[in-house]
Amino acid sequence: MLREFDEKPAIPLWLLAAAAVAMMVHLYLIFIWVPTEATMGIVQRLFYFHVPAAVAQFTACFVGGIAAILYLVKRDPRYDDLSLAANETVLVFGLVNVCLGMLWAKPIWGIWWTWDPRLTSSFLLLFLYGAYLVLRPAAPVEHRGMICAVVCILGMADVPLVYLSNRLFRTQHPAPVLGGGPDSGLAPPIAITLFFGMFTMMLLWVCILLVRRRVARLERAAEDLTRRVHELEDVRSF
Amino acid sequence: MVDPNLSWLFWGYAVGWLLIFGYLFSIAQKERTLRKKVSELQDALEDRWKQKKA
Repeated sequence: MLREFDEKPAIPLWLLAAAAVAMMVHLYLIFIWVPTEATMGIVQRLFYFHVPAAVAQFTACFVGGIAAILYLVKRDPRYDDLSLAANETVLVFGLVNVCLGMLWAKPIWGIWWTWDPRLTSSFLLLFLYGAYLVLRPAAPVEHRGMICAVVCILGMADVPLVYLSNRLFRTQHPAPVLGGGPDSGLAPPIAITLFFGMFTMMLLWVCILLVRRRVARLERAAEDLTRRVHELEDVRSF
Repeated sequence: MVDPNLSWLFWGYAVGWLLIFGYLFSIAQKERTLRKKVSELQDALEDRWKQKKA
């Protein structure tokens, strides 16, 4: 049951090394290289973790959603494994994004949370993926992949709503700094640090996704083997 | 002079890294447990087959 590829490390060494180096460089850029932002001061440096975490979360939503669609079309369990792996990372990076946002909001806005469109849609996204993970073990095995794929596609549909919420509505959350109109934009050092942060977070996300996908395969193998052992026991007792 | 918001910055990064590495650690542990379980199940399946043939 353990195939040859499952014996190899889940993350290629070069990818792991690239992620580690990128994380070091990113920390250097955040804490030493980039100048302190004039209005918010030192706490603005949370931006370089908060936004990349959101980018990783949205990417995970799309990867999970596309894998779910492929599963519905082809019924190949490998797509269900990939979808599960991506969806779990949505929750992890979503929590990082929301927690950092709250820790940034408190000193700047004076409040931890407000139910404005951006924050509410982000909360809804987390809630949907939380529901996915609760529903998955509870669903009947034969329909599990299909039920979860549908929930996951619903989750993916919420991503454009989160993205557009501070473009379409007036929100407490700041207006977009990239592609948000003539007044938007970033100073070059801030933009470089942010884009490098996105690159680093994507590397880290891919590493985590690969490990989680391996675990999903092992879970499937364990389930399959357990069923076969029970079947043999049933035949013997009969 | 120390910035009064330094603690927010510290806690932000601490929480972020803790969540990510905590999750990574938990799935690494889960992988180890599952590998062991799969190996045991493979052995059990082999035993059942041998008993069935006998």
